Amino acid sequence: MSQINDFMLLAGKFFTVLGTIIYFIFSVVIVKQVTSMSHNVYDKFNTILIIFSYLHLLFSILLIILALLFL
Amino acid sequence: MPRSQDLDNIAPDDPVITIPPTETKNVILSPSSVKKKKKKTHNSPAPESATIKSPSESPYSAQSVKSSDLKFRQKIYELMQGKTTSSLSSFLARPKVFTFDTRDDDEEIILVLRRHWFTNVRWIMLGIFMLLTPILFPSVPLLSFFPDRYQMVFVIFWYLITFAIAFENFLSWYFNVFIITEERVIDIDFYNLLSKKFSEAKICMIQDVTSTQGGVSQILFNYGTVLIQTASEIPVIKIEMIPNPALVIKVLQQMRGEEEQEAIEGRIK
Repeated sequence: MSQINDFMLLAGKFFTVLGTIIYFIFSVVIVKQVTSMSHNVYDKFNTILIIFSYLHLLFSILLIILALLFL
Repeated sequence: MPRSQDLDNIAPDDPVITIPPTETKNVILSPSSVKKKKKKTHNSPAPESATIKSPSESPYSAQSVKSSDLKFRQKIYELMQGKTTSSLSSFLARPKVFTFDTRDDDEEIILVLRRHWFTNVRWIMLGIFMLLTPILFPSVPLLSFFPDRYQMVFVIFWYLITFAIAFENFLSWYFNVFIITEERVIDIDFYNLLSKKFSEAKICMIQDVTSTQGGVSQILFNYGTVLIQTASEIPVIKIEMIPNPALVIKVLQQMRGEEEQEAIEGRIK
């Protein structure tokens, strides 16, 4: 029974880390997208949006670290 | 013997009378030489081959050209009076900060349109629901098997995904714009993360403009779709869910009137 539990936890950890890595790639794409959009169209809130996209990227990196160390 | 000064009839060996730049202040400009931009009030030196015309010869003086243009522009400004210039608006009239990369230096932006705010309600509601889900359903049967530290990471992951969905939808609304400038209409669409579409048509190429409004919400909040048929490479420009389509059509009508006036006067660039 404990072997099944260990396997499930390991599988959970593997899929969580995989998910966070995919999410990190997605957040890099968002940064790239916001930068590209801001280059085409400029308005007052562009700087704030770029900051938000970088904060999002930072959180996705923190999530990978959290998943690797905490699980 | 006086020789013809008409450049179409001039013989190759005819001497061309040149005008010194200091004498240009008395020249009445012909329609083709009048600069389209009204902002440029300074007189540039006349080209060496320019001919002098008396006011009776010239059908349009510089003053009459300016006033006929101003008539259309004034009407457009009157139509947009009281409309917002806030950056987070769906209907931006003569924005001060807004600009785009292919804009000419002195090209005036008349109108910037985004989707009506009501079209954002769906993803805002979804975002709120996703935000409240971990609070409303603290125990998901499938995940209850995992220890607390796992569940904490799942919750953080869930909130990040919620933020990403809301952020993506906001970006889609904020950057998908339709721009009307004094020269052209521009439609910038970002379909998803990696594809975008840029359509542009000169105002003088617009042939037909139609608008459609259907459904309770569109009638209630006055938004709809505008179809612009053009004679350019892009036959139809479709602007979806924009606020106040009737006013947009009126503005385009005035802009077309202004362009037609300029075409009659031979001032098309």
